[in-house]
Amino acid sequence: MSTATIFYRNVKWRFHNAFTIVITILQPLLWLVLYSTVAEGTMAGTGIENYTAFIFPGLIVLVSFSASSSNGIMNYLMKADGSFYRVLIAPVRRSSIVLGQLLEAVCCTFVEVGIMTVISLLFFVNVLPNFPSLLLMVLLVALTAFFMAGISYSVSLVLPNEVLYETVMNAIVLPIFFLSSALFPADGLQGILKTIIYLNPFTHVINALRSVIFYGTIDFRTVAPVAVLFLLLGVGSFSWALYCLKKETRL
Amino acid sequence: MYAIQAQDVSKTYKNGVRALDHVSLNVRKGEIFSLLGQNGAGKSTLIRILTTYLKPDLGLVQILGKNLSMKAARIRPKIACVGQQTSIDTYLSLEENMMFQSRLYRIPKTQAKLRMEKLIQDFGLQSYRKYPVSSYSGGIKRRLDIALNMMSAPEILFLDEPTVGMDIQSRMAMWDMLKKIRNDFGTTIFLTTHYLEEADILSNTVCIMKDGKEVTQGTPEELRSFIRQDALRILFPTKAEAEKQMVFLQSVFPASQMTVRNTDIMMNTEDVRSDLERTAGFLLEAHIPFYGIQIVQPTLEDVFLRLTKKKEMGEEK
Repeated sequence: MSTATIFYRNVKWRFHNAFTIVITILQPLLWLVLYSTVAEGTMAGTGIENYTAFIFPGLIVLVSFSASSSNGIMNYLMKADGSFYRVLIAPVRRSSIVLGQLLEAVCCTFVEVGIMTVISLLFFVNVLPNFPSLLLMVLLVALTAFFMAGISYSVSLVLPNEVLYETVMNAIVLPIFFLSSALFPADGLQGILKTIIYLNPFTHVINALRSVIFYGTIDFRTVAPVAVLFLLLGVGSFSWALYCLKKETRL
Repeated sequence: MYAIQAQDVSKTYKNGVRALDHVSLNVRKGEIFSLLGQNGAGKSTLIRILTTYLKPDLGLVQILGKNLSMKAARIRPKIACVGQQTSIDTYLSLEENMMFQSRLYRIPKTQAKLRMEKLIQDFGLQSYRKYPVSSYSGGIKRRLDIALNMMSAPEILFLDEPTVGMDIQSRMAMWDMLKKIRNDFGTTIFLTTHYLEEADILSNTVCIMKDGKEVTQGTPEELRSFIRQDALRILFPTKAEAEKQMVFLQSVFPASQMTVRNTDIMMNTEDVRSDLERTAGFLLEAHIPFYGIQIVQPTLEDVFLRLTKKKEMGEEK
């Protein structure tokens, strides 16, 4: 009940500040529309037939990063001139506050992934091969966005202002994105770079999404461990956010 | 029956600032209780503790008979707090803000709508319903903030400096509103302020705080009676002249406590009649230019200045 109330309030904020949806989807769209077209020729030699479809899973992750980061900024704005303090002294469980906050970021991610899917269709790229694939894609995207939203909400509770927050989030997001299999296949890599890329959990969710979206294959032996990994990471980031929120009242 | 009982409450922040130092106070049900003090006196910290936002390091707090440290979740439905900054969400409409508050407190929708209509009526917000909240003036935003905090029909309403930055008309309207909340809704009001006039006009009980400690607590009349004797007010053309002459007068009347207020010297005396004659005679003989001299009754401001000054002197010893 309280989670729905907080979620509804945050969704209202998002639609009131609709430009945040535009801004957060802008960069992934540029990657989807411009970069994929430019790089398609270069990547043709690697055996990738449709590079736009190839980078789509990575862009889903990028969208979840952006939507989650924006969710953290929302927290600062509510602290500055919103109902943050009023909610904390209301009879609302801290876990409901965190859950309502994180679910909004998940919802925003889905809206943006939906927009990207429609745009990719305009480029004759079908990223939705079949219904079971769609369900798996929804599960993986939800888990990824939930984990990332937990991280960004926690960071926004720990750091004192938006400037520091943006700096730290950029320092987290960009290396994670580039040191993953988002833009290129990681199979041919060697040495330390390969180790780093395979230690990055987002490499695995991107690969799982790619197998579902790009190849239309549903291999539970690939997808299930990734889903479990992100479920655990999501629980971890939620717990961290809950701890940070409770700490707010232990100054 | 007390709404709030606090005993020896202390709070030190992680940065080492000791905001509260063994503060004790009692607030009766249905009264307006003002916490008076300068900036940094610890008022906001105390209000944050009493509203379950902060935990005290030491001390016992009972809100409506429940232990704050152990029963915070059971206290929260019965209290509301209007902070120094308005807490309305400007992207929600007036009605959405009020209904959001009712959902936080799990008030049934039908009941919430009835309460909202009454509050909109009582707080004179009818004409603002159709306008976006972001376009409201500061005073209207503050009024809405109080109205939405009343949605849960709290037994205790906390207000942290509710009139700070307001013009005098808005402040007077706010005072009427607070009296109405106490009289019509029976709500206990706990407010912090650094306006002495506000505390004097509104309060049933006033508690004066300084440097994290309570200096005294009582009705405005009781506090005024702390200074039983009247005072002399000597009027000068300028503040600089008053300050200059105070040094001189202090050397002549070392036993009297003096303070400069605006362009006047306030002089506390043991025997006001004889001191009036002595002071007037001295000023005339010394050809000190002054506009007049009069006997005045102590105000709450005098009490505040006297008691906080006394505390400073006590600390110096």
